Amino acid sequence: MENFSEVIAIFFSLDNFIAIAMGVVIGVVVGSIPGLTATMAVALALPFTFSMQPVAAILLLVGIYKGGMYGGSITAILIRTPGSPASACTLLDGYPMAQQGHAKKALKAALYSSVIADFISNIALIFFAAYLAKIALNFGAPEFFWLICFSLTIIISLASGSMIKGLMAALLGILLSLVGLDEVYGSQRFTFGNYNLMDSISFIPLLIGLFAIPEIIEFYRKKALPHIKAKASGAGLAFSELKRCMTTIVRGSLIGVIIGAIPGTGATAAAFISYSDARRRSPNKVNFGKGEVEGVAAAEAGNNGVAGATMIPLLSLGIPGDVITAIILGAFMVHGLTPGPIMFQENLSLIYALFMGIMFSSLVLLMVGNVAIKYFSLIADIPKSVLFPIVLMFCVYGAYAVNNDTFDVWLMLAFGVVGYIFNRAAIPAAPFLIGFILGPMFEDNLRRSLLIGHNDLSIFVRGPITWAFIALTVGSISLALYRFISARREARNAAAKSQEV
Amino acid sequence: MNKLLSSAYVAAYTSALALGLTVSSASANEWPTDDIRLVVPYGPGGTTDVLSRRVADLLQQELDTNVIVENRPGAGSTVGTGRLARGGRDAEHTILMASPGHTIGAAIYPDLTYDPIEDFVFLQNMVDIPNVMVVPADSPYEDVLEFVEAAKEENMTFSHSGVGSSIHMSGELFKTLTETNMTAVPFAGSGAALPALLGGDVDVAFENMPTVLSHIRSGDLRALAVTSAERSEYLPDVPTLAEIGEHNLDQFITTAWFGLIAHSSFPEEAQSTMQEALANVMEREEFLDFADQLGAEPGQVSGEAFKQFIVEDLERWEGVAQQAGISQ
Repeated sequence: MENFSEVIAIFFSLDNFIAIAMGVVIGVVVGSIPGLTATMAVALALPFTFSMQPVAAILLLVGIYKGGMYGGSITAILIRTPGSPASACTLLDGYPMAQQGHAKKALKAALYSSVIADFISNIALIFFAAYLAKIALNFGAPEFFWLICFSLTIIISLASGSMIKGLMAALLGILLSLVGLDEVYGSQRFTFGNYNLMDSISFIPLLIGLFAIPEIIEFYRKKALPHIKAKASGAGLAFSELKRCMTTIVRGSLIGVIIGAIPGTGATAAAFISYSDARRRSPNKVNFGKGEVEGVAAAEAGNNGVAGATMIPLLSLGIPGDVITAIILGAFMVHGLTPGPIMFQENLSLIYALFMGIMFSSLVLLMVGNVAIKYFSLIADIPKSVLFPIVLMFCVYGAYAVNNDTFDVWLMLAFGVVGYIFNRAAIPAAPFLIGFILGPMFEDNLRRSLLIGHNDLSIFVRGPITWAFIALTVGSISLALYRFISARREARNAAAKSQEV
Repeated sequence: MNKLLSSAYVAAYTSALALGLTVSSASANEWPTDDIRLVVPYGPGGTTDVLSRRVADLLQQELDTNVIVENRPGAGSTVGTGRLARGGRDAEHTILMASPGHTIGAAIYPDLTYDPIEDFVFLQNMVDIPNVMVVPADSPYEDVLEFVEAAKEENMTFSHSGVGSSIHMSGELFKTLTETNMTAVPFAGSGAALPALLGGDVDVAFENMPTVLSHIRSGDLRALAVTSAERSEYLPDVPTLAEIGEHNLDQFITTAWFGLIAHSSFPEEAQSTMQEALANVMEREEFLDFADQLGAEPGQVSGEAFKQFIVEDLERWEGVAQQAGISQ
């Protein structure tokens, strides 16, 4: 490349390194505080970037994004309160690990899988952006519809224990996701005239309520139990354990890359899809949800895999796939740059400098994350009688901070009660969340497809992408049915045998 | 414990009282006597948010006081606006970045808790962004008339970024005026809507200029018309819809406007101080550069004229909402 020296000149400036380091630190800290999301941090940092050099400005925002994506997992693991929606999946195994005295191990697993996924995602961005962008453009409503169908089938594997309870939880999630404005007609559904519900039930208060509050209620209910005085932070992650999770991490990263390259799905869905895929394939299936390190790795690989890949539609097409990339698009525009095909012609050196910075940010995340773990894991050693009142305060604050609205605090507390009932009745929360996240996407893309196709059903089989996802969906359901039936048959045979004896 | 609580309460109360006294003695001085809150009735990251943060930054320098941006998203812009309309203690130091959501929201939600005109004072129209009527590059339609004729024969689809957005309502207005057959296809934001347009899944869109400008320049989208009263300097060869002259399109003049409003109790002294500061902001090079990057034109109207502009905007959208049957 002839302007290689120019790229180097743009990239190797102290400003860029400071911007990345600051960004990642801000991201990790803000991401770890419930209710304060990476999105907010990026939005708040935006005005400060106006006066910066364009590359440093973008790298600051990207650093916050990546740091925030990881930071969310810290509180998810330590206090069962997802710092950001995308880390909700991480707590399914992360928190049980922390309770068993493996907080440090869970945090390390989350960090390493985040960094590896981030790295893979960046590679995809740098080398396959043009190709993946083309796929994104061919991904219309019908293709989306089948992707969601396929994702819904793989969550069958999340209904641990009772299938009936899992399905009930999923349907309840879908039911609650219907609250708000109808996307096509704009009419109100189940809002009971309350304007707070018009924009649907806020996700962050729901998450905080569902996971953090039941723990607190449970603690005070069983207050008589003696406090286990042990060094809860425990040992780190052994290399053999990381190696065992490697396939899961790579697969999760690729799931994240694909989801990230398609505008409009998001990191939360990617984490759950990666998690349920990992669970289905793992030999330790039964241990998922009870503190399986592979579960933490899968969830974090899924959501961090999205981070680099969302830059693909942004840089190559000028299309922001989520709110954060929309803000980053704003930052580009403030500096007189318009992401899209033209930028690759006019500002190529700048883009390559940006790529170098983005790659470097993975490394910074690894360093910052390691320092963060050292101090954050001490939280696991704080007696719960001291910790939980503080957690409760953060829950209230976090729920309030999303929209600056006390309604969300009540909502959070209400979901706390729901979560407690779930716990007592052994209803799994994961299918509930999946229903809540994927339900609206399913409905919207179904209706959107019908509108685009003028109610002609042939739009659902219009091309190779739809065919591929139909095949995957059918295959996935058949496999699940086969396993279900053979498990029943085995159980029956076993019962028959025991009768014979 | 109770005793402890009550003594803490008393201490807090007295210090609050003392604080209140200092504030009220300070209020004898010139407005602003406190930090200014700039409410953005949308989430972070959108055009309204980015613009507000830029304006806050410059306004802070003009007024020599903190201007704090606060996002209060929800239900179009009606949640944040409703909060402002309730007034209260902070109303003297609160301004809000209004946009077409203010008028369209009022047109489609009849049971709003506030009056979109009477409950507010209108300070300054900051920028106007035209919408552009765009078709995919491989669309057979080269101009608006060809499109209208085709749309009278067969059903066309137009994408939009959500019910009640200016992008949606522009499509509905076009459909009503030209008496054509068009189906609205909703997406969650312009980011999600764009691929459908670029990929040819929908026939047309009335997108915000900044969203599609680079795609028009790269040749991936074809601009058929702009919706503003005059041609845009960014697309000088593209006619306005009003220029077309046929199919009632001479009545089609809309822009996505952005402007600052405040509660009706906003003091008169504050209004003049604020308007003066905003006028200064709008003359600054940083602001003009920023507007240029957005593909926006600096706003033209302030005070009463701005109010009149909003009254007319409201009437237009009420008409469209009624005709299109989008009213809850």
